[in-house]
Amino acid sequence: MSRHSTRKSFDLEWVEHWARRVNEDRILAVIGRFFTGRFVLGVDETDYLIEVSRGKIQRIAEGLEANDFGFDFALRAASGTWAKFSQPIPPPMFNDIWAMAHPLHRHLRIEGNTLPFWQNLRALTHMLSLMRSA
Amino acid sequence: MNTHDPIVGRYVYVQCEGKTYRTYYEESGEGIPMVCLHTAGTDGRQYRHQLCDPDITANFRVIAFDLPWHGKSLPPSDFYLKEDEYKLTAKFYADFVVAFCHALELKKPVIMGCSMGGNVCLTLALRYEHEFLALIALEACDYSPGWWIEPLHHPHIHGGEVVATSVFGLMSPESPDEYRWETWWYYAQGGPGVFKGDLYFYSVDSDYRDQVSKISGKLPTFFLTGEYDFACTPEMTERTAEKIKNAECIIFSGGHFPTSEDPAKFKEVISPVLKKVLALDPDRRRERSGAYTARSSLSTPRAERPANANGRRLVEL
Repeated sequence: MSRHSTRKSFDLEWVEHWARRVNEDRILAVIGRFFTGRFVLGVDETDYLIEVSRGKIQRIAEGLEANDFGFDFALRAASGTWAKFSQPIPPPMFNDIWAMAHPLHRHLRIEGNTLPFWQNLRALTHMLSLMRSA
Repeated sequence: MNTHDPIVGRYVYVQCEGKTYRTYYEESGEGIPMVCLHTAGTDGRQYRHQLCDPDITANFRVIAFDLPWHGKSLPPSDFYLKEDEYKLTAKFYADFVVAFCHALELKKPVIMGCSMGGNVCLTLALRYEHEFLALIALEACDYSPGWWIEPLHHPHIHGGEVVATSVFGLMSPESPDEYRWETWWYYAQGGPGVFKGDLYFYSVDSDYRDQVSKISGKLPTFFLTGEYDFACTPEMTERTAEKIKNAECIIFSGGHFPTSEDPAKFKEVISPVLKKVLALDPDRRRERSGAYTARSSLSTPRAERPANANGRRLVEL
């Protein structure tokens, strides 16, 4: 197996598994204690609405609906991009959300209100890094 | 018995653009002076491993200073009256490096700078080539856009945490955790707006795409860039080095902060370069004294979840 192993699908079950790891994480319980909000994890054409309260994921919804009353921000990328990002040792330019979103690279789109994105960058970065746990 | 690093720190008064700056620097070693330039928003601690490495300090007087506004060097005394936010310019940066070298009466020092300290090597090569023995530009290129952005200095965003986290992904995931987080810590300690102000130089005022071909090539210049650097990619460094006569370019398996994120890897990469620099001025190298001892430094598939009455699938946690 190469040091950059490959990921399969990013379906609701995968997102749920990641969310359960997030909720078990003891560091995030501290650094994410002020992270409350709703963001979209976009994979190809599928949006997952992630509802976070004090650093823990409370609810995941597949697809957006009018009565969601919107979301704070969205992180949208192709499944191939998330596949690289979530490898145990991600390849260069895919190891970080800001790396992927940076105008030089544009593998990931940060949309919506970017203020809560930047405000919670440390907790969010740690939260997303838990996608790499086997 | 107490253990000390061999580093000694002092303050020197540097005149630049009509003002006097009380400037903190650390040094160790004897031989060819090598002045080390820290990255944006941080300070000379990034070179602590090289300052403690007897294989380096045997032949080089390694000096790392904190730019004004950084580390233990203060901003100008009237900083609170500024009518614009702090912005580092190419002119001030290059002039200050030269003024610092003059203040210490250094003769033909080597400059080793990282990131913005690497980019300023291009300014130095263009304006001050006769001042230096050689330039070592780490993680440098002739244009590095995209970093002079508002979130890095905003009253609703924690500057220390956002600045430090914004650069964390510039490091290789295979660099030691201990040193990656130490680098994160340096960044978290910068003054408000200083990282962003430095990035004015890095992303706006150091666009040398039309100028690098004017560099004479008389001053030996070495470019070294890590493969995880997403701000200055290996390709960006290679393209820059190709435009400069007699420049050498080395790409290695590391990140944007090689001196602090993985000092052991950096030593492997930099040692052959330092050997070449020594060969430029063999009279000034010193035999190793041996006086110092360096400190050694997702998932199991689950059953398909049924949709709710509206056809939408939900997970309550």
